Amino acid sequence: MNLDRLRKRVRHYIDQQQYQSALFWADKIASLSHEDPQDAYWLAQCLYLTSQYHRAAHALRSRKLDKLYGACQYLAARCHYAAKEYQQALDVLDMEEPVSKKLLDRSVKEDSVVTESVKDWGMSPASISSSICLLRGKIYDAMDNRPLATASYKEALKLDVYCFEAFDLLTSYHMLTAQEESDFLDSLPLSQQCTEEEEELLRFLFENKLKKYNKPSEITVPDTVNGLQDNLDVVVSLAERHYYNCDFKMCYQLTSMVMVKDPFHANCLPVHIGTLVELSKANELFYLSHKLVDLYPNSPVSWFAVGCYYLMVGHKNEHARRYLSKATTLERKYGPAWIAYGHSFAVESEHDQAMAAYFTAAQLMKGCHLPMLYIGLEYGLTNNSKLAERFFSQALSIAPEDPFVIHEVAVVAFQNGDWKAAEKLFLDAMEKIKTIGNEVTVDKWEPLLNNLGHVCRKLKKYEQALEYHRQALVLIPQNASTYAAIGYVHSLMGDFESAIDYFHTALGLKRDDTFSVTMLGHCIEMYIGDTEAYIGTDIKDKLRSSLGAPALMKLLDTSGDASEFQPLNESFMRTLESSSPKPEKPSEASLRRTTTLEFDMYESDMMLETSMSDTST
Amino acid sequence: MAALSPEFGDLVQIKKQLISVIGLCRERGLVHSAKWASELAFALNPLPMNEMPTPPPLTEEDVQDFDALCLAKSYFDLKEYDRAAYFLRGCSSQKGYFLYMYSCYLSGEKKKDDETVDSLGPLEKGQVRNEALRELRAELSKKHRAGELDGFALYLYGVVLRKLDLLKEAVDVFVEAIHALPLHWGSWLELCNLITNIEMLKSLSLPDCWIKDFFLAHMYTELQMIKEALQKYQSLIDVGFSKSTYIISQIAVAYHNIRDIDQALLLFNELRNQDPYRIENMDTFSNLLYVRSMKAELSFLAHDLAEIDKYRVETCCVIGNYYSLRSQHEKAALYFQRALKLNPRCLGAWTLMGHEYMEMKNTSAAIQAYRHAIEVNKRDYRAWYGLGQTYEILKLHFYCLYYYRRAHQLRPNDSRMLVALGECYEKLSQLVEAKKCYWRAYSVGDVERMALLKLAKLHEQLNESDDAAQCYIIYIQDVYSCAEPLEHVEVSTALRYLGQYYFKNKRYDEAALCAQRCCDSNDAREEGKALLRQISQVREQGEAASADVSHPCVFGPLSNNNTPVRRVSPLDLSSVTP
Repeated sequence: MNLDRLRKRVRHYIDQQQYQSALFWADKIASLSHEDPQDAYWLAQCLYLTSQYHRAAHALRSRKLDKLYGACQYLAARCHYAAKEYQQALDVLDMEEPVSKKLLDRSVKEDSVVTESVKDWGMSPASISSSICLLRGKIYDAMDNRPLATASYKEALKLDVYCFEAFDLLTSYHMLTAQEESDFLDSLPLSQQCTEEEEELLRFLFENKLKKYNKPSEITVPDTVNGLQDNLDVVVSLAERHYYNCDFKMCYQLTSMVMVKDPFHANCLPVHIGTLVELSKANELFYLSHKLVDLYPNSPVSWFAVGCYYLMVGHKNEHARRYLSKATTLERKYGPAWIAYGHSFAVESEHDQAMAAYFTAAQLMKGCHLPMLYIGLEYGLTNNSKLAERFFSQALSIAPEDPFVIHEVAVVAFQNGDWKAAEKLFLDAMEKIKTIGNEVTVDKWEPLLNNLGHVCRKLKKYEQALEYHRQALVLIPQNASTYAAIGYVHSLMGDFESAIDYFHTALGLKRDDTFSVTMLGHCIEMYIGDTEAYIGTDIKDKLRSSLGAPALMKLLDTSGDASEFQPLNESFMRTLESSSPKPEKPSEASLRRTTTLEFDMYESDMMLETSMSDTST
Repeated sequence: MAALSPEFGDLVQIKKQLISVIGLCRERGLVHSAKWASELAFALNPLPMNEMPTPPPLTEEDVQDFDALCLAKSYFDLKEYDRAAYFLRGCSSQKGYFLYMYSCYLSGEKKKDDETVDSLGPLEKGQVRNEALRELRAELSKKHRAGELDGFALYLYGVVLRKLDLLKEAVDVFVEAIHALPLHWGSWLELCNLITNIEMLKSLSLPDCWIKDFFLAHMYTELQMIKEALQKYQSLIDVGFSKSTYIISQIAVAYHNIRDIDQALLLFNELRNQDPYRIENMDTFSNLLYVRSMKAELSFLAHDLAEIDKYRVETCCVIGNYYSLRSQHEKAALYFQRALKLNPRCLGAWTLMGHEYMEMKNTSAAIQAYRHAIEVNKRDYRAWYGLGQTYEILKLHFYCLYYYRRAHQLRPNDSRMLVALGECYEKLSQLVEAKKCYWRAYSVGDVERMALLKLAKLHEQLNESDDAAQCYIIYIQDVYSCAEPLEHVEVSTALRYLGQYYFKNKRYDEAALCAQRCCDSNDAREEGKALLRQISQVREQGEAASADVSHPCVFGPLSNNNTPVRRVSPLDLSSVTP
């Protein structure tokens, strides 16, 4: 009997995904060939493919194949993993360590059968051991042993630099910090395992996947990988770059283009959802999440989308939490859902619960600084600036160049009354933002400008403060608190007229702003006290030259003719022609009491503002 | 006054320019600028056949976008702005880009207006925003920095900035737009709304185009520099624009602003003869008729306009004025409200609405209305004054002082603001300032004839009897000199005081004279007689008796609580009191 023909048929069936037929024939071949290891392997493979994991594992382990062949060992462990028997899977992998070496030695030395068979099986030892490492990492991951998992993934990638899954698991679950990521990428033996061209390709593709949100920067596609510009993965990473540069419109354009080409592109979905939230396109997000839930009810991203929708429409935090927790139960290590979960509490000022959620996120995403940042924010909001500072410095140690973190540190410094340091930090953050473009154009950064204005006011650099507030106004016009701040600066400069104007504008936009109301009252009092009663020259000796009693007598007698008093009136009119500008006298002393009224620093704004930058992590 | 631009020598050239700019504006849906230019072009002689300007040649890009533009423009004309924008999104030509952005802008505005009408009364306006503005600003500012905007796009950028209250930036952009395309009247008009005083006007560098003269004339009217404005318009008429209805209406408005009612009425009637279906500026006309209480004429105008188009802002204002004149304030408010629904940026309606609310004693609504008026135009002194009055009713004197002051700044020589200021100071017990204000009010020509009396009372209160007497004397002199028998109560008050004053100072002749005059009026007759008796008594006693006998004061102190009340309602503020 020509078993090779049948074997080919089995492969053929597997390729055609007719697993039952493949299984039937594989079983027969195994019997016919008297349990040739390779045939047994294929039998197990077919069993695995028909989801009969225990049978598959048994088929291999009962024949002790898992101890002899790397491929079989891998498959056996994989079956246990698929059957969620993690410890057994680990046992299969672990005890074989020396044996696999033996196997390797033997294959090199003499056993031509095995060498041949291994070759036949179409797997190089390196790729098997890489797969084994990857599987081990996944098992550790499933057993919540993140450090060992990380180490295994790294090992797998070192053995096979093309092993994208390991790389993806490393990056997308934030196991490494940005610095560690790039160091690791540099340490990969790319040059040994691939050709020069491929090395460049690989480096570009991997770098594309690295962390993008720790600092703003530009992205460029090198010429050598021409043709990849339109690859959706590359487009998505470009979109992510725009997203983290806060250019949401551009990002939306790209992601919606991707969504047209590939309606449920997995990598694109988180970015797309984030963008929809940022641009508050509620309707579109609603429809998208509905479709996702219908089509992929088991994917956490579907429920994450639903949660984001409820978070965005407001006043539906209860619903948001329900769906976000559904996402986290589907996949516990889905960090974005945890962070959004925290946000849903933060919006309601439930600081403790928000922090609990953020802490979970922090544990899950070791290499991500955002949870730290949010925890710090929450501590700041509960007036615990010491702890806030500590968490910010942790965040800073992970992402030393993120302007958001620098900004928050500056806010803490401001609250502690250290104006100088605050100003320096704010300017630092500004510097970082300016690496994208020369001017700050993104309205996310309006609070930074306003805060700079506040700091400058504290440092008595009033002109600069005004300039910063004015820039803030350009980014987000018609903002009541900016107007109030400008009014305040004007009042400190003693320009009450402008101050009153600005407070009025502020109140026109936000009628119940107590700060503006109080300040307006003070300013109007000061203004009235300061200025002349009317515009125009004072009239001296006003009644001296007027008419006396005899004239009156004449007047009353004649009852009418007043022609002789005409010149008198004219002289009055002449003195009135020239008008002088009204004097402004700033009175410092009385202003002291108003300076105690302090501005709140928009932490809440800041928080909401940083909050969504993680949705696509 | 600078002479007109030399370009006015060649009216044919001007007409050609006008015709070409009409075409440009129309292509872009800028209907108001097109209308203005057309009106002006109509006033000039028709061009001969060979002089007609040819439309500018099409560029490559224009040809590319031609179909999209045609389609989008027809959607645009049908007010389907989003649809128009959708089909224009890829256009690269300047025209296409402008129409695209303009559609986006108008779509946002339309949505905002619809929202306003749907959900709230017009008073809550301002809560609804044009959401498109911020995106438009970001987009346009990017292009602007790259220097890719043409005159029309710059104009749009300026409008967006103005809507976002970024006034300083808006002024710069409008100036730039004017330099890029001086013939576009819209840019000039927008700039005009942003200029707050003459210094600012002088500091701007504007191109020396013939259109600048129109702008300056308009500007002078707005800045209450009526003399200059009238001169400008007169010279424009002389140079050949005598048939322009635009200029006639502007002159009429100018006369209205200096309260020369007769001239203004004359011109408005002339305007209606020439352009009987005109609705613009008719609200101003109706204000004049209102002030003059010309009920029949106002009624005729209101009915006439209602027949032409009853859903126009101006029509609604006219009808509102008509009802207000008939003291049907609820109905009047209703019509002003309708006007505001039609156009929330209608300045006059906001102010008039405020007045109506004042009449109905609804102060908070009045404050809102006045505030909106100020938001639309900061130079509207009537609104500032109205705010002052409302706060006066609310007894917030510091506030009302501030508002009166703003009104006073806008019209430094208007006695009504000064009197109001004085009253406020009086209430705040800052009597020195109050005195100053009253005196100043008298000096600039007191319309209400109230300042002196108030000043006198103040002096009286402070026991400065000499000054008080002086004031009364001047007051009486004033009253008699204008030969109109009015306010006898106040005259008798003055006479009573004077009589007593002279009596105290033992100038019995004068006292007697005053007392006699007192007897002329009804309410002071008794006091006059009493004083006369006293005088004769004292005289009988003769100079032999000691002169320093203290006479019992017959009148008692003049009560302070009968301080005259200002009678001018804010409605009449724009009026002329002859």
